[in-house]
Amino acid sequence: MTTQPIITIQNLSKQYKHADQLTLNNINFDILENEVFGLLGPNGAGKTTMISILCGVVQASTGKILIDGLDLNRNANAIKQLIGVVPQDIALYPTLTARENLNFYAAMYGVSPKVAKSKINEWLDKFGLLNAADKKVETYSGGMKRRVNLIASILHQPKILFLDEPTVGVDVQSRNVIIEHLKDLNQSGMTVIYTSHHMEEAEEFCSKIGIIDYGTILTIGSPKELISNCEGAKDLEDVFLSLTKRKLRD
Amino acid sequence: MWNKLKAAVVKEAKLLFRDKMGMAILFLMPVLLILVMTLIQDATFKSINEKGIPVVLVNEDKDSLGLAIRKGLMDSELCTLSETIDGKPATKESAQKAVANGRFIIGVVIPKDATKAIRSNVEHIVNETVAMDGENTKEHEVDSFDITLFIDPVAKKSFVSSVTSSLHAFISETKTQIMFQSFSDQIGALLPEDGKIANTAYKKVDMINYKEIYGSEKIGSSVPNSVQHNVPAWTIFGMFFIVISVVNNVMKEKKEGSSFRLKTMPTSYILSMNGKIIVYVMVCFIQFLLMLLVGIFILPFLGLPPLDLGSSVFAVLFLALCTAFAATGFGVLIGTLASSEHQGAITGSLSILLLSAIGGILVPTYVMPEMMRHVSVISPLNWSLEGFYSLYLRNGGILEIIPNAIQLIVFFIVMMGISSIANRISGRV
Repeated sequence: MTTQPIITIQNLSKQYKHADQLTLNNINFDILENEVFGLLGPNGAGKTTMISILCGVVQASTGKILIDGLDLNRNANAIKQLIGVVPQDIALYPTLTARENLNFYAAMYGVSPKVAKSKINEWLDKFGLLNAADKKVETYSGGMKRRVNLIASILHQPKILFLDEPTVGVDVQSRNVIIEHLKDLNQSGMTVIYTSHHMEEAEEFCSKIGIIDYGTILTIGSPKELISNCEGAKDLEDVFLSLTKRKLRD
Repeated sequence: MWNKLKAAVVKEAKLLFRDKMGMAILFLMPVLLILVMTLIQDATFKSINEKGIPVVLVNEDKDSLGLAIRKGLMDSELCTLSETIDGKPATKESAQKAVANGRFIIGVVIPKDATKAIRSNVEHIVNETVAMDGENTKEHEVDSFDITLFIDPVAKKSFVSSVTSSLHAFISETKTQIMFQSFSDQIGALLPEDGKIANTAYKKVDMINYKEIYGSEKIGSSVPNSVQHNVPAWTIFGMFFIVISVVNNVMKEKKEGSSFRLKTMPTSYILSMNGKIIVYVMVCFIQFLLMLLVGIFILPFLGLPPLDLGSSVFAVLFLALCTAFAATGFGVLIGTLASSEHQGAITGSLSILLLSAIGGILVPTYVMPEMMRHVSVISPLNWSLEGFYSLYLRNGGILEIIPNAIQLIVFFIVMMGISSIANRISGRV
């Protein structure tokens, strides 16, 4: 595995207008090329804000972000061509079919219609959706929607893939298919940055994990490192609870 | 870029055409609007300018004045005259009661000996005038009388004014006629036998005529009527209601998350909005054509004159296209600024109503207070309406509507510019 950072985050802070506290507070870390980086944290910890800033949707209050050597503030459009984003909510047009949705998003990424056609068929087939490809998305189950939601973000073969809780609310079968294909994508050279509440899934899938709470990165390391460094921890969930405590979050 | 634009247009068209209810509303509502509003406003137009104000006349005079007023009102296209109530000759009391009950809008009572009073007054004036010196004239007590008007409180002031001005004209004519006759009698008495003035000479005198010429250098064959006035106004109103559909579309995209995903893509906001603009401008233009067809082919079946497009169909279509761009651009702005579907729908519909009222769609600008007439020029609906009036009523061509078209296109560009800035600012939350 290469040690070249593909994402460098320096002194990143974010305070929303009218908010009393910083949502992200002086974050500094690197994500290496071809890593599967898991960003874990309780509700409201700042995970989605972090992903939104990294993919250029929300502007940081302070700090510098380099993605593949490009400054995000100056090269947002070029960076958007390098990344794929799987949003937390299903971001599809319900009255369009899966194929129509994917055709549209492929075009928006600049994929030619010819290439898009073969890529769409390929991925629909891999995710077991080829037979339902021409049905409206509104008729799909939650798991099927999640799979199309993922395909829409990888049609242009991005260098970096951001996933905000991609397996939330899906059955075990769909989750396994999603994780397996994400592993394949990672093995083909794609860097994956992923947020989740599934500790077991993250422990198995991620090469590095950062735990964030109250806008601050509490720890970063491989799952094994995190478990071994936390006294009495048997798994990642113990580490997570030890760092973020058991208090309920809104 | 073309592939992106094509994909955006195809997507928008599919989203729109699959919404059957939305489509029905988009195309049926404007057609219904134009039918209902034109018919309603035509009725008002007719009640003022054509026939139909029910008037009851109580003629107690039975002489020249009473007969002149009776004939005048009967010949007038302004009203439908009645002299009986429930088969009985109308009296002052029954006329008042009938007006109070709303059976007649106006009741006119000409008192007994009204002509006699005029004649007595006129004769005295003539005697005074032709007397060589003032010595033979005696102090004359003026015989006055009242013509009573009973008015239904629901009657518009303009109806009442029309009837009273007609009455004034009849009284004045009768007075002049009596005066002329008295003068000619007096002068005749001073002349030799064969030099007498014919007492019909007055009727031959037609000194002042009125000509109605419309103030346009290029007046066409069409005479202005309620259809020429109302169809463009309600067509523009209907076209601007595309704002609600555009707002709904933009808000749905935000709600369903596609808007977020698009922001993560290497595609500009303007490009993704252009897909919407192209589709909704086309829809708006089709709406316009439908409403035009209603004006030309359906309204004549309902007893209204057909819509006359003036001398330049190209100019009409060009102005419609500019109006469609302005309406769609306004929808994009409201959709971009709104934070919920509910808020967007309310803001969209209220702003259209406001701009319509200001712009002279609901009430003509010339009846507005002076301040509001100045304000009306800020409404894009007013720019469009003035353009269509130039084409339909003043028989103008493409050159006459260029200023209106430029205003509408600049409005569209400004709307898109503000939307783009607002979209960029929304990332700086």
